[in-house]
Amino acid sequence: MRRYSLTYLIGQSFKGLWRNGVMSVASILVLLSCLIVMGTFGLIIYNLNDNLASLGDLNSITVFIDMEKTDEEIQSIGESISRLSNVKNVEYISKAEAFERQKAIYEEEYPYFFQGVDETIYPASYVITCDDNAHFEELRLELEKMKDQGVSKVRYLADAAETLESIKNGVIYIFTWFMAILFFVSLFVIINTIKLAVSYRKQEISIMRYVGATNWFIMLPFIFEGILIGIISSVSAFFIQMYLYGFIESSFLAEYNIRLVHILPFDNVKYIVLGAFLAIGIFTGIVGSSISLRKNLKA
Amino acid sequence: MIDFENVSKVYPNGTVALDGLNLHIDDGEFVFIVGASGAGKSTLMKLLLREEKVTSGSLRVDEFELSKLSNYKVPYYRRRLGVVFQDFRLFQNKSVAENVSFAMRAIGEPAKLIRRRVPAILNVVGLQDKAKNFPRELSGGEQQRVAMARALANNPGLIIADEPTGNLDPMLSLEIMNLLIRINKSKNKTVIVITHEKNLVDHFQQRVVTLNDGHIVDDRVGGMFG
Repeated sequence: MRRYSLTYLIGQSFKGLWRNGVMSVASILVLLSCLIVMGTFGLIIYNLNDNLASLGDLNSITVFIDMEKTDEEIQSIGESISRLSNVKNVEYISKAEAFERQKAIYEEEYPYFFQGVDETIYPASYVITCDDNAHFEELRLELEKMKDQGVSKVRYLADAAETLESIKNGVIYIFTWFMAILFFVSLFVIINTIKLAVSYRKQEISIMRYVGATNWFIMLPFIFEGILIGIISSVSAFFIQMYLYGFIESSFLAEYNIRLVHILPFDNVKYIVLGAFLAIGIFTGIVGSSISLRKNLKA
Repeated sequence: MIDFENVSKVYPNGTVALDGLNLHIDDGEFVFIVGASGAGKSTLMKLLLREEKVTSGSLRVDEFELSKLSNYKVPYYRRRLGVVFQDFRLFQNKSVAENVSFAMRAIGEPAKLIRRRVPAILNVVGLQDKAKNFPRELSGGEQQRVAMARALANNPGLIIADEPTGNLDPMLSLEIMNLLIRINKSKNKTVIVITHEKNLVDHFQQRVVTLNDGHIVDDRVGGMFG
């Protein structure tokens, strides 16, 4: 059985890439840019999800107790809270615990902040989670009513959760549209590059046809060319993405002290990013070259 | 063996290029197809190359029924043909040997066979000393001989030459036609030459099929240009 030379086919696709220099570079740059934008959106969503999760149960309510209340009074308030309907869990955080938690977070960076102070400056608090989030608001109002019993402040994060959730949804929405548009832009550029490659080799293709080359033999170098564009773009995009991520992680956030935002290490997702880039890049390359061949390689 | 049985070809714009054509060509025959412009010569060639499909009738080349041949099988059919064009259609950036080996590579022949066969084919067309030359370094006749070597590369049973001497002066035309005759006799290949060159046709006294308005108006062995 005759075997087509794979090295010949791959060699042809490299030659094609070289011959269409400008268009090949344009295709690689467009696909690379698309992948970086896609990767950036993906990483934003990944970090947003993690940051949302790290905020803990956002449907919890923290009730701060008046500073002058005694331990017995604080305990009595806790019992009253537990008796309210829709309360799932009540966690007591003493003044000492609150002080330790704050120290753990800020002491390294702001040691002077904790000099000469002790736990007495922090109020005791209860963190309440509800059974049914649909009735969260009613529970909050009940707790607000307890201000005359010694509750000084009721703090809840539901609004923050909703805001973050809507930001996340917005990012996903924009991301989806961007992805679709960028995918078609990449496809369009690759189609044109392969079209140029086909027209450059028109005579060669016509002779191949006359001597009995199969369609696959004629088409494979062009498809390989598309795949090559995909691989070069995705590997380059991966390294650029890694550099940009590292830059934002180490320089930007550190410089501006954006403490609320926690950035996950790129190492956690590097294989996923590379895999996704390669998959999208190669898929775009194959689809782009196939569409171009279907249009320009009719017998 | 080539058999046209009542073959008609009507193009989508309504032009009737061939109308109920009947023609039989045996293995090893040498046939000139002649006729004025628009007589149907090019369509006949396109049908033989299976670039076009017959509108009605049956066209058989050896075991291939071209009217029913699926697109998938067309490349395998074409491997039985060798095609020579008026404009040579050589790769200017490939050497003579590379132009010939390209035809073998395109159908996936192993490199070992290509290395063995190419010099032998160049020997047949008398270009063994020009293997490394590029087409621009050759005369028109030599370029056409490269095209013939390429047509022979895959050892086809049928050679179709479309106006092979159209771009050559009379001396070179004679040389090319002699070569085609030699290939026909010594290699027992069927050769079909489509031409409008009266002198050549009359000189060689082979079978001549004359077309006019999509019909065969004359078909005789040892014939003259109609």
